[in-house]
Amino acid sequence: MNSDVPPPGTVDPMTFDAYWSAVDAELAAIPARPVLDPVPARTTDEATSYTVRLTSAGPYRVTGWLSIPAGDGPFPALLQTPRYGSVNDMPHPNDRSRYVLFGLMHRGQRLADEGFAAAYPGLLTMGIDDPATYVYRGIAADCLRAAEFLMSLAEVDPARVAVRGDDLALLTAARRPGFSAVQLSELLFHRAMEARLKSSHYPLEELNDHLRAGSSAQTIGHTLSYFDPIRHAPAVTARTLLAVDDPGWCAALADALPAATVYQLTHLDGTDNDHLDAWLAERCGVPAMSKFVV
Amino acid sequence: MRDPKNAVVEVELPDDFDDFWAAGLADCASHPLDPVLTELPALSTDRVIVHDLRYTSYGGLRVAGWYTVPRGPSAPYPALVTIPGYISEPTIPKEWSELGYAALAVAPRGKLRSNELFNPGYPGLLTHNIADPQTYGYRGFYLDVVRAVEVLLERPEVDSSRIGLQGSSQGGGLGISTAALMPDVIRCVAAGAPYLCGIMTAATLTRSYPYEEINEYLRLHPEDAGRVRETVAYYDGLNFAPKVRAPTLLYVGMEDDVCPPETGFALRRALTCETTLHAYPHCAHHAGLPGVLRIVEDFLAAHLTPGR
Repeated sequence: MNSDVPPPGTVDPMTFDAYWSAVDAELAAIPARPVLDPVPARTTDEATSYTVRLTSAGPYRVTGWLSIPAGDGPFPALLQTPRYGSVNDMPHPNDRSRYVLFGLMHRGQRLADEGFAAAYPGLLTMGIDDPATYVYRGIAADCLRAAEFLMSLAEVDPARVAVRGDDLALLTAARRPGFSAVQLSELLFHRAMEARLKSSHYPLEELNDHLRAGSSAQTIGHTLSYFDPIRHAPAVTARTLLAVDDPGWCAALADALPAATVYQLTHLDGTDNDHLDAWLAERCGVPAMSKFVV
Repeated sequence: MRDPKNAVVEVELPDDFDDFWAAGLADCASHPLDPVLTELPALSTDRVIVHDLRYTSYGGLRVAGWYTVPRGPSAPYPALVTIPGYISEPTIPKEWSELGYAALAVAPRGKLRSNELFNPGYPGLLTHNIADPQTYGYRGFYLDVVRAVEVLLERPEVDSSRIGLQGSSQGGGLGISTAALMPDVIRCVAAGAPYLCGIMTAATLTRSYPYEEINEYLRLHPEDAGRVRETVAYYDGLNFAPKVRAPTLLYVGMEDDVCPPETGFALRRALTCETTLHAYPHCAHHAGLPGVLRIVEDFLAAHLTPGR
C-alpha cells in the first residue's frame, strides 16, 4: 500500500479545499464567452429556446439548452445538471414555461463532444487513478461554469435559483452561493465503493472493471473522496430535497446537508414525478404542473 | 378525462408495408454479416465473458454491440437481445449472462460506437428524414436489431430455438418490430412502456420527449403533416403487431407521460399472439420498475429456460 495515499474519505480538509479552489481559479481565469443561437422549433408562446456554447476549464467548449419564459421577468431559474450518460433528457415544456432553464451537456456528452467523446462504459473511471487527472474534475468545472452563466442572466430572479440533478447538482450548490433550492436524486458517488459490490450493474460496475484491470481500491477511493457528496454537503445552505430509494443508506448524507428533507421514492413514478415537481415549484413560487396531461 | 384502456388509436396500414420491409431485409441479406467478436478480459468476470461485437447491417453499415456469455460448460445457452432506450447507451448485459443467457446488447446506428457514418444526434433521431419513409433514420435502426438476432443465429454456443427480446420504451417498441420481422425465430418478447406505437396519436397526448420532437418538427414544417404520417405508418408498432407470433409480455404505466398508456393498450389489442399486459396505476415511464423486473425475468425464463 502506498503510504502517501490516505484511505478513502479521509482526504484532509486542506487538500480537499485546495483541490477545489484550484478548479475555481482555473474557471476564473477563463472567460465563458457564451454564444446563444435561437431554436425556432422549441420556441413557443410559452418560452424562447436557445442552444448555448460556452467555455469551461481546460479550456473546453460545452453546450447547453437555455430557455426563457415568455412575459415579464425576472423569473425563477433552474439549472439541470447532466446525468450519467451520453445524452441528457431534453428539458420539458412545463419547465421551460416556468423557469429560466439551463440544461447542461458536460464535456464528452453528445453536443459537447468536439475533441472528446465520452465512452460508456468508461467515463466513470477515466483518469481516476489520480484526482488531478480524473475526468470528473473537468465535468464538475463544467457544472460550476453553467451555474455562473445562469446566474448572470438578467432575466433571472437571484432570490429564486434552483439546481436539480445528481451528485453534480449537490457539488454545484456547495461550490457556488446563490441557490435557494436543491433537488437531488439518483446519486452516483454516494458510498460508491460500497455500492459497487452490490451488483454487476453499470455504471458502478465500471469501478469493478477498473479494479480488475489493475488499479486499487485505495487509489480510486482516494480520488472519489474529492467527489463524495458527504464532503460537499455542509456547504449546501439551500433548502434541499433528497429523493432516495433507501433513506437508511443515505442517512449520513441527509444529516450532513444543513437543510435537507428526505423523500423516499415510492416507485409509483407518476406520483414521485408530481411530488418532486410540486416541491420545486413551491420553493420557486410557480404553479405545480404534471407531465402527464389529464 | 383520459380513458387509456379504451381510447381509439388508429394507424393506417400502408398497402406496401410488407414489400417495404422485405426490401429492407433483402438489402441486409446482400451484405455479409461479417461478425467480429473481440473478447475483453478486462471487462470479463469470473462468471461472465464480455465481448465487443461488430457486424454489418442495412446499407452496409457496421454496427456495434456488447455480447456476453456465461462462463461454464453448459452451452448451448438461450439468448437475449437487449434493446436500448432512446437516450440510453446499451450497457454490458452481464446481469443477464449471470442468469444463464448469452446476451447481446445492441447499439443500433446513431448510438456510440455505431455513429461514425450515421449520427442524427439526440434529440433528432425520431425526426431524421421523417418526410421520407425510404430514408427515415429509423429504417436502418430497426434493421440493426434484426441483424443482431442474425448474429446470434450463427453463434455455436447459442440454442437458436431459444432466442428472446427484451427492452423498455424504444427497446420495447423495437422488440415488437423485430419479432414481427422474424416470426419464425423469436421465441418471446418482453416489452415495457412500448414506444413507437400509435406514433402520431402519441404526439397529441403528450408534451414529453421524444414524441415532442414530432410536434417541434411540425411547428417548423406544418406542410409536412401528411408526409410525416405516411412515413411513420411504416414504422408503427401497431402495424407490426399482427405479425408477431412470439408470446409477448407488455407492461405500461397508467401515468406515463413519455409513451402514453393509450398506445400500450392499443398495442395489446393489435397483437394476435399470446399476450400478457400488466398496467401499473400511478406509474409513469418506469412502468412498474423495479418491481416488474421479477415478472420480466420469470417470463423470459419460462420461455427460454436458462440453465436447462
